[in-house]
Amino acid sequence: VPFTDIAVAIQISFTYFTIIYLTGLGGLFSERSGIVNIGLEGLMIVGTVTGAFGARFFTDTLELGLPWGPLFGLLFGALCGAVFASVHAVATISFRVDHIVSGVVINLVAIGLARFLSYAFFNGQSTQSDPGGPHLARLDIPLLSSLPGGLDRAFEGLSPIVVLAALMVFPVWYSLNRLRWGLRLRSCGENPEATRSLGVSVPLYRYQGVLLSGAFAGASGAFLAAEVIGNWREGQTLGLGFIALAALILSNWNPIRLMFFAWLFGFAVAIPLRLNDAPVISLLPEQFIRMIPYIVTIVAIAGFVGRVRPPAAAGKAYEGGGGT
Amino acid sequence: LATEGMAAPVAVSRSRPAWLEGLVGQLVALLASFMIALLAGSLLILAYGESPAGVYSSIFEASLGSVDGIGYVLAIATPLIFSALAVAICFKGGLFNIGVEGQYIFAMVVAAWAEVSLGFLPAPLLLSATLIAAMVGGMVWAAVPGILKVRTGAHEVVTTIMMNGIAVSFLAWALNGPLRFNDAPEGAFVDLRSNLFPEQGLVGDIGEIFGVTPGAHLSWLLFLAISAAVVVWFLIRRTRLGYEARAVGSSPGSARAGGVSIGATQLRLFLISGALAGLVGMQQILADRGYLPQNFVVALGFTGIAVAFLGQNNPIGIVFAAILWGVLSRGEVALQIQSEIPREFIIILQGILILSVVITYQIAKRRLAARQLQLAGEAGELVDSAGPSESGGPRGPEETGAEAFAPVDERGAT
Repeated sequence: VPFTDIAVAIQISFTYFTIIYLTGLGGLFSERSGIVNIGLEGLMIVGTVTGAFGARFFTDTLELGLPWGPLFGLLFGALCGAVFASVHAVATISFRVDHIVSGVVINLVAIGLARFLSYAFFNGQSTQSDPGGPHLARLDIPLLSSLPGGLDRAFEGLSPIVVLAALMVFPVWYSLNRLRWGLRLRSCGENPEATRSLGVSVPLYRYQGVLLSGAFAGASGAFLAAEVIGNWREGQTLGLGFIALAALILSNWNPIRLMFFAWLFGFAVAIPLRLNDAPVISLLPEQFIRMIPYIVTIVAIAGFVGRVRPPAAAGKAYEGGGGT
Repeated sequence: LATEGMAAPVAVSRSRPAWLEGLVGQLVALLASFMIALLAGSLLILAYGESPAGVYSSIFEASLGSVDGIGYVLAIATPLIFSALAVAICFKGGLFNIGVEGQYIFAMVVAAWAEVSLGFLPAPLLLSATLIAAMVGGMVWAAVPGILKVRTGAHEVVTTIMMNGIAVSFLAWALNGPLRFNDAPEGAFVDLRSNLFPEQGLVGDIGEIFGVTPGAHLSWLLFLAISAAVVVWFLIRRTRLGYEARAVGSSPGSARAGGVSIGATQLRLFLISGALAGLVGMQQILADRGYLPQNFVVALGFTGIAVAFLGQNNPIGIVFAAILWGVLSRGEVALQIQSEIPREFIIILQGILILSVVITYQIAKRRLAARQLQLAGEAGELVDSAGPSESGGPRGPEETGAEAFAPVDERGAT
């Protein structure tokens, strides 16, 4: 295998890392606050259609140009993700609907909602938008992109959002582990009764957790549609929301470990795209490689290789306050 | 266990019987959610500058207003009945099978393999073999999360989600590899699919008997689905397994104390659920298409969860819920022809309906539980707060996905 192919596969893996990591961080905030969110895929879908529209709208219609147009497009996707996530928040927190049921509904509704929005956004095209939308200028990472031996290819032509996503680990880790806000959010997910007895409003923090999950997943979808592909297309999330969920579980709901698993699964997605001729890999059908993240997660959740421990109160209905 | 059926007789005798109260509560919740969905839909329609009454009546006209329309509706409902039943039977035992999606996808591959490789068999044998293969396929795919749940405590929600992902790739592999078609003329542009199934391997069209257009693809799988609903009802209400399932679902602790093996019960439920899920894809490949396509209709498993909720996990209710879902889906055609509203409006309407159903049930259930607790309190009786779950309503957070992601036995280990 040419060395450059490996480097390019790594470059592609950074892109998928970004999608999986941003969505995974979304799930992290929600589940750390105690609300299980299997609707990540649906939130991402809403992010893709609104993000693709936002990038065009802010760049061309409002003539903001680069880089502000695509950036606002990304924020628009995040905003719409958060708005859509509020459905999950209201259902699970205020009405105490089963978290899984609500998450399934989110995923189901998202498909229809995306078509509905697409029809309105893109002149009656309900399953895709015109290709070639605006995106941020590509970035060569300083120093790393001048590595010798073809390795430089891995760090060339990346979207700035990739770097931004990787840097997110610092504020996320800091806010969850050092800020009062984050400690309270986490204690809502571990022991809501005790948290409440300290005078903290559990529903308030859980709302924030779920809305953040929508914002992150929405931004991730917007990145996928606008930055990576250049247009919206039905089904383009390819189950990456579920892969993000898998990475989140394996990471033990930890933002630093999540980075590793998001990159690992991103690399698994990139292998069939670039490394088909490599030894060993060429013997495996590409579809089998696509199964890897799911299989690894099943093995881990079944406890064959160590245990994962989720937030203790995640998924449990909480009776105190915010009632019906 | 005996306390289940006779919760606070004193309290109950002071008002309506508990089952009647439960039923009334469910119906009120159902009606309320219909009203909410219709109202929200009306607002959307008004936003498009059209008349809600006109749009709703054209949806009705397109679906139930003609024999053909009814045929289309029933054909849409057929797979949904199977998939909602698969979800519901697991619900009864406190399990959440969101893997129906993967189970029917895997089963379609197995069934297609049977069709393609057993084409020499005569009609009844080939069809039976295919249907059995599909059911076995569904069971195999459901057995993995079932066994893992029982043996290791791995939560079925997580494992079934992952199994769904694997099934999608498995189908893609099969269509690119062993099942890839070779019956199309060289150079012809054909979407990726399997070989066409032999003529005698397809399910018969029953539309012409009732004067329904062949385009509806109404097949006798509909009767199989309705029979399955009756069988599931019987299973839940009249057999030992059904009794144990309900016991496990409403109160695992007392079920265990009563001598019920929770693991064995849950595994059996998962296998039955998988068999039902296996039949979900049959309408599609044996009646609609006649081959296994790459661009198959997805999300039938997830839609089944919505239909199960709409039908309150009651097998007979599920048949009607699936038909209602079919009515709405068929309404897309009316919108396309007769109005400016995009057809996607229907999916939004279905989404609003299912959301309001889920929320109103939850409210109704809580009110009912509170009421029974209050009545019991007045009668000076301590009552098991599980209360209305006996009436078969949708389960609340305490009983289903409650501890999703939280294997109970392992606390603190990293």
